[in-house]
Amino acid sequence: MPAPRLQTAKLMRRNRRDRARVGGALVVLICIALGAMFFLERDAIAPALDALRRHGYVCLGAAAAFSAILVARRRALERVQFMRSWLAAVPVRSATARFEGLLFETLPASAALVVITLLALIAAVATSQLGAVVALWADFSGGVVLGIIIGYLIPAPKPVDLPPGSRYVPHRQVRKSTPIRPSLKALGQWPIRQMFAWAQPKAVARASIPILVMMPVGTMADTAMVVIALFAVVGALLLLWSAAQEQCRLAARWLAPLPVRASAVVRAFLLPAYAFIAGASAAEALLLVVFDVSYRGALMVGASTAVVGCLLFGGALLWNARPRRMQ
Amino acid sequence: MSGIILEIRELRAGYGRRTVLENISISLAAGEWFVLLGPNGCGKSTLLDCVVGRLRPSGGEIHIGGFPLLQDPYEAKLRLGYGCAPDVLPALLTARQCLEVHAAAKEQVGIGADLLALAEELRFTPYLESFVDTLSLGTRQKLAVLLALVGDPLLIVLDEAFNGLDPASALILKRHLRARTERRGGAILLATHSLDIVEHYADCAAVLIDGKLKHVWPKAELQRLRANQTDFETALAAAIGET
Repeated sequence: MPAPRLQTAKLMRRNRRDRARVGGALVVLICIALGAMFFLERDAIAPALDALRRHGYVCLGAAAAFSAILVARRRALERVQFMRSWLAAVPVRSATARFEGLLFETLPASAALVVITLLALIAAVATSQLGAVVALWADFSGGVVLGIIIGYLIPAPKPVDLPPGSRYVPHRQVRKSTPIRPSLKALGQWPIRQMFAWAQPKAVARASIPILVMMPVGTMADTAMVVIALFAVVGALLLLWSAAQEQCRLAARWLAPLPVRASAVVRAFLLPAYAFIAGASAAEALLLVVFDVSYRGALMVGASTAVVGCLLFGGALLWNARPRRMQ
Repeated sequence: MSGIILEIRELRAGYGRRTVLENISISLAAGEWFVLLGPNGCGKSTLLDCVVGRLRPSGGEIHIGGFPLLQDPYEAKLRLGYGCAPDVLPALLTARQCLEVHAAAKEQVGIGADLLALAEELRFTPYLESFVDTLSLGTRQKLAVLLALVGDPLLIVLDEAFNGLDPASALILKRHLRARTERRGGAILLATHSLDIVEHYADCAAVLIDGKLKHVWPKAELQRLRANQTDFETALAAAIGET
């Protein structure tokens, strides 16, 4: 029975593998490296395994919650994406469509199961803690399976059938028409807006998890907040730099046929971004003062951030806006 | 089976709370080429999305080859060929793989000789082993049309399929589609802005304005316009009240 989505996925996987030339050897190498690491650190791992085993229900619950969210989100996303795909108009029997849907929607959770099993095998061989490893494997795998079931019990959100970039996407209401005035001001706001677009709440929340995990046990809440705020400032500057790279390249290509002075473009890009960098550096210095760093030290760090940020941003702008030779 | 290939009855559709199509009824008989005209944003692509099952209408019925699309999508889609937008083709597949996937889905044992002949005529054959992301817009457009023709479907639905095609390829394709509908007894539903297709190839045409069929030119009226050598641009302007 033809299963076009599955067939496409298989072909794409094969093509991707052929293109990237990454074989199973890499996976084996990673497994061996992990095994060696587990073996060398087996004395340190044993108490950690015991601690996790004592909190088996927590592990199970965390895995279930993670898997349920993953599956529920993917269900909604996959269905919308499939409706827009090149295979949407292809005939597929309903049983096959359901089977394909199930496979694609549970793919990350199934992959997590495989990774958990693989890690458990490596840990069992390397640490000789068979009992603890099997118990933990059962907790995590059970949690993932439970999560998959819960993910299907959670009612799917109302399908969003707005084509991206379509005229039907609700847009900002403009009360009165404002006259269009010639200005390059929008260029400078472009990287900043891109930075905010990338820093979606979901992305920020995900980025905060490893920071919170890295904090030692017993860290005060206010200290944690300051650390997160510092990471946010640094993250914003990195995102701005990255956005500048991309937007300057695009702007250079877009504006190339126009008789616009390079200095005007550079000025339009630099001024708002430098203002943002200055503000972020000031916020960083302030947070360091809150963090009990001396005024002088905080000022030094803030000034360094501002100088480095401005130099990097300017460098990225000039590098990406440079005229290119035809290939 | 009756001679009606596509039957759309009182179709209503939209995005979210916004209604885009209202009360659309179209009927395509075997051998007919139906052209859908209209300004940008009038709902042409939305109508085609409903016909191919990419968008679920909020009301009305669609029958393809006598099978209801909403109740029996498998049988209806077996008789349907859709030329999707070139940008949704999978970047990581080769053109040959795309054709193979479509052929397998339509339970074909291979790619038809006439399709391969058309690919050759369109000078597409050298690109069969190329990845989709390396193809130019026009070449991708050719692939999208070839995919629509896999399995010799009864109904071919094309959305601005001639965009990006060079004039020679566009002419080959128009003649091929005309010959195919006459030989196969199928039907074509095409959304386009090219009035030359209406003037030379179409059997019926309709203009869609703000989600409603503003005017329909049946076969007899189109033939009369051709016989009188009436400029279709003028006829279209008159139909939408912009004379």
